[in-house]
Amino acid sequence: MKGIAGTIFHYIDVTFVNIRMALLRVVEYPSNIIGWLLSNPVQFLVGFATIQFAVSEFGDINGWNYGQLAFLYGLAVLSHALSMIFFVQGWFMGNYVIHGEFDRYLTRPMSVLYQFFFTNINIIGVTDLIPGLCVFLYGCHKVGFHWSIGNVFMIFVLLTGATLIRGGIYIILGTTTFWTRSNNDFAQYTQEIFDKTTMYPLSMYPEGVQFVLTYLIPIGWVTFYPVSNMLGLSNDYLQTSAAVWLTLLIGILVMVLAALFFRLGLRNYESAGN
Amino acid sequence: MKIYSYVCKMQILRSMTYKFNVYGNIIMQTIIMLTTSFFWKALYQNAETVQGVEIGSMLTYTVISSCISVILTTNVEQRITRSVEKGTIAVDLMRPVNIFAVFFAEDLGNVVALLFQNLLPIIFIGCIFIQVPLLASGASVLMFLISLCLAFFINWLLAAIFGMWAFTAINMHALLQVKRHLIRLLSGSMIPLWFFPEWLRIVLEAFPFVYLYQLPLSIYIGKCDGMSLIRGITIQLVWLAVLSFIFYILQKRAARKVMIQGG
Repeated sequence: MKGIAGTIFHYIDVTFVNIRMALLRVVEYPSNIIGWLLSNPVQFLVGFATIQFAVSEFGDINGWNYGQLAFLYGLAVLSHALSMIFFVQGWFMGNYVIHGEFDRYLTRPMSVLYQFFFTNINIIGVTDLIPGLCVFLYGCHKVGFHWSIGNVFMIFVLLTGATLIRGGIYIILGTTTFWTRSNNDFAQYTQEIFDKTTMYPLSMYPEGVQFVLTYLIPIGWVTFYPVSNMLGLSNDYLQTSAAVWLTLLIGILVMVLAALFFRLGLRNYESAGN
Repeated sequence: MKIYSYVCKMQILRSMTYKFNVYGNIIMQTIIMLTTSFFWKALYQNAETVQGVEIGSMLTYTVISSCISVILTTNVEQRITRSVEKGTIAVDLMRPVNIFAVFFAEDLGNVVALLFQNLLPIIFIGCIFIQVPLLASGASVLMFLISLCLAFFINWLLAAIFGMWAFTAINMHALLQVKRHLIRLLSGSMIPLWFFPEWLRIVLEAFPFVYLYQLPLSIYIGKCDGMSLIRGITIQLVWLAVLSFIFYILQKRAARKVMIQGG
């Protein structure tokens, strides 16, 4: 037993050192921080404002008024931010594979997947949290969200699950480069697709798209199903009363699958050069 | 002139060789175009016309907006940023040609290549999955093209002026993102300004962004005619003059600044 506890403590210890190093790396370039502090909030705050104008002109979109939409959008940006902080490396895996960077991780006595993500924690992702929090709090205010301990706990569960789903999908996409060995950068498509499917109600898409995003690629579970559940909105496509917990469950499932897939991919890894 | 047309031709050939970028752009535009069209379809479920625009016009607006975004592609900012970072800007400025004319020729060549590589596929996809984007009236075709040309020049000047910031602010990547988002959101490329609150619309109409996307698009769907059309084109011309002047001044100063840096 002591062995396992010791290992866990060791991992936590290393994580703190990594976070400290990541912070120092970011502080080194102050002008860069200011740039991202501008860029990410502009993208999401102005982005939400324009949607809100259109929706308030029409009244609602598929039964969602703009307060509920803000709630959805805010949680989507928050889970995006969290997945950016911890799992953004998945987007750039192609680069690491091509340049043989995995050699370094393989020689160290810790899990390769852990090292890959946690030696490069992306502190800049915090700048995404700000607009997410703003829009989310605005949404909470508009829908009259009740700040009870139970509800806050549910939000926490939802965000954990949502972040795991996103992270898992990034890892699975990134892992394919072990076979393709190509450097194609699909980061922006991934983001565009995730943005468009988690920030708007999924029910506005055709049924085929809804089917794919519910059962095949679980993007619908990132925000749409749990949020409709929390706000008591019904949708024609799928009824469930425990969507928040399902999100967490699916998140863990996707992450486990991603980890297994990653290990399979790693076996196929050949270093670059000699 | 001969030099610049040669640069332009070379860029067309160069743009043709990078296949993945081309497909990437088409995929991106297709995602944006399709999701935006679903957004409008969902909004128009319970409404016939809003602000005098019906769903058909809005879908046309979406398809043509994607087409315009292909035409308004510029590389001049990245080009300047990269040569400042690498220090090759000094050599660039020493050549016996006008460096900005070279950048312009390159961007023009790139757009010509994109007309075939991106514009045609996007129109094709739009026609199949959304709807055939028909022009509101045959008479407005000329006005649309004029307005689009003006938009192209305004957009390029904005990009070039913005790019010259790289001479002083070394790290430009985040700033470039800010500009991209602002233009995308405030030019009416996705959500037209007539849905915005009155005060914000008035403020935004004082900026050049609206004249990049929304004006040509409004002409295309027939929302802008008569006096408002003449007014719009006039404002475009004024912006073109103002930006050309700013560009001319900055370009002289920027060149001097780099020379001093290099010793």
